[in-house]
Amino acid sequence: MEDGTEGKEAMQARGGGRRRSGGGAEARRQKRRSGAAQQYKFITRRLAPFEVLSEEGLSLIEENAETILEEVGVNIVEDEETLALFKDAGADVKGERVRFPRGLLRSLIATAPAEFVQHARNPERSVTIGGPNLVFAPVYGPPFYRSLDEGRRYATIEDFRNLVKLAYQSPALHHSGGTVCEPVDLPVNKRHLDMVFSHIKYSDKPFMGSVTHPDRAADTVEMAKVLFGESFVDENCVLISLINVNSPLTYDSTMLGALKTYARAGQACIVAPFILAGAMAPVTPAGVLAQTLAEGMVGIALTQILRPGAPVVFGSFASSMSMQSGAPTFGTPEPALVLYGFTQLARRLGVPCRSGGSLCGSKLPDAQAAAESAQTLLPSLLGGVNFVLHAAGWLEGGLVSSPEKLVMDADQLGMMQTMSQGIDLSENGQALDAIREVGPGSHFLGCQHTQANFETAFYRSTMADNNSFEQWEAEGSKDTYQRASERWKQMLTEYEAPALDPALEEALTEFMVKKKQAMPDAFT
Amino acid sequence: MADDDEDLDLNSLSDDELVEQMWDDLYDGLADEITQGTNILLERGWQPYDVLTKALVEGMRIVGIDFRDGILFVPEVLLAANSMKAGMAILRPLLAETGAPKMGKMVIGTVKGDIHDIGKNLVSMMMEGAGFEVVDLGINNPVESYLEAIEEHQPDILGMSALLTTTMPYMKVVIDTLKEKGMREDYIVMVGGAPLNEEFGREIGADAYCRDAAVAVETAKELIARRHNKGPSLEAAG
Repeated sequence: MEDGTEGKEAMQARGGGRRRSGGGAEARRQKRRSGAAQQYKFITRRLAPFEVLSEEGLSLIEENAETILEEVGVNIVEDEETLALFKDAGADVKGERVRFPRGLLRSLIATAPAEFVQHARNPERSVTIGGPNLVFAPVYGPPFYRSLDEGRRYATIEDFRNLVKLAYQSPALHHSGGTVCEPVDLPVNKRHLDMVFSHIKYSDKPFMGSVTHPDRAADTVEMAKVLFGESFVDENCVLISLINVNSPLTYDSTMLGALKTYARAGQACIVAPFILAGAMAPVTPAGVLAQTLAEGMVGIALTQILRPGAPVVFGSFASSMSMQSGAPTFGTPEPALVLYGFTQLARRLGVPCRSGGSLCGSKLPDAQAAAESAQTLLPSLLGGVNFVLHAAGWLEGGLVSSPEKLVMDADQLGMMQTMSQGIDLSENGQALDAIREVGPGSHFLGCQHTQANFETAFYRSTMADNNSFEQWEAEGSKDTYQRASERWKQMLTEYEAPALDPALEEALTEFMVKKKQAMPDAFT
Repeated sequence: MADDDEDLDLNSLSDDELVEQMWDDLYDGLADEITQGTNILLERGWQPYDVLTKALVEGMRIVGIDFRDGILFVPEVLLAANSMKAGMAILRPLLAETGAPKMGKMVIGTVKGDIHDIGKNLVSMMMEGAGFEVVDLGINNPVESYLEAIEEHQPDILGMSALLTTTMPYMKVVIDTLKEKGMREDYIVMVGGAPLNEEFGREIGADAYCRDAAVAVETAKELIARRHNKGPSLEAAG
């Protein structure tokens, strides 16, 4: 506009004079340039889920799971209370080994809700988990952080805050996640406080709780009560937390302790067998599925014993493995088959499911990362997963969080949002008017239908460069990694924290300070 | 197993042929054949130490190379290591009797709070496969367990493993305790696990971070050799 090309309408608009509905140059520039696209609502799929197992196949795997539970059982390690609970519920307990009569767990699980709402502090960001709905949450758990500028190093709380901010600013991430990276710079027994606080302060999307100790789970519930109010937390789900099964067929006291704390508080647990097939389960998809179902039902049933009706999600993390090195591999066909079969089993169990993500084994956000992530993400959508953890920011088999990968993945998630809606068959979708108007020859760029639809007709990638060679070269011949580096740094400079009631912030801070003062820094 | 294999009589082979056959039998993970071959060499008057180094350790060296190069798969290497163990079971008491030099002894376990032991188990198998004596403390070890095991077994190497970022700092607790007791320099300390790296290993005062089981074996061999060579004359020469 400095060069004097500003239009008449724009001048009028800015000067506060008579406005036309178009708003003029400045208005459109504002709208199109700002990185702050509108937050998407969680996905409600219109596509039917893609299924790989017939009724016969599903029954077979379900029977095999019951056989595993009846014959082999699971170990409940160092947790007398849980052993007693299962014994009272009708299980056969010998030492740490618990075996279940056929059908017992499935009948206990009948009280679990098929879908539930996880509330966010901003009600518009609350998500429905289960049914035809899909929620994308960022990467969870990496001890390392990699960026283009700094390379690979241990993650810090500063990285954690930045990743929370980036997830907040990414419209296709519906959830703030949990351990977006492990802040290794903070003491093990205190870092959960800063993590939960960061999710509350820097985002208004729903978030996950700490699971590394029952006390830390309890602290998370306390902080949620400060934020949402005690009675609201008792009656509603405001936290969802990741409980991994120590496959094969083992539950440890740390995970069970956190599960029991959350279930009793009426908060959601994702019970997820963690399987690198070949090491923690057989190498075959049908074997992985039967073991996953057996393991998952144990933890899900426990939540219902503790509090019938408590929200719970059946999770599956299943990767293949390089049999030459033992390294987990991603984006391979076998885990995709497991995912499709798993979602079918979860639907028949009547609980929401979690799986998939943007998983890869690559060290860098490169071609391998993109291909493997796409091969995991698309099944996540098509299979009908309800909660997709690790949807953005994951590198190197989950050892590394990367801001570049996060913005690259977030772009792909936006595509899934569109894909999930299937084909629009409305009158506008059929577009017969456009074809009548243009007729043979000519083109559609100027017709009324195109004028009415062009802006939202095609998903606009925030990462891809589709310019001419000359323009791309003139702009520095940047590859995706470089463009992503620029993008996340730009996003952080534009970041504005969502408003948080100062009284609430003070109360939360006070809670944290008191907790931190009450105990010395610890290593476990 | 092909039928003609059964016809192979290890007794009919010369010493050199038998040793080469044992390399192949290790490669193929044939524990019974390794037991038999070990006994035949001993019957022929071989020193236990020679059976160990020339037949078994050399065979496992070949296995190690092909594992590193991606020719052998993990389950095959585990079979090979098990076969090696079968031979070692015969040799170990004899080696002790004859006062032969030892490959080395390792005490290993996952640290307090951590019950993830697949990686640690792989390291144990591979170390045993390379001829080391391994005392496996299992999972969830507080510093006291390591100290007791060190006292009882007098190992050359202390190995610690962790899968979680919340448990890996405990390795430093163990190393600091060794330092406090003036014992740190008496042992080689090796650490491993997915959330670790070189930098972490250095910072907590370990002698080595080993990224996988094969590297752990190589590192153990190297550090033990360095230890044995630690004479003043060699240092001057080096």
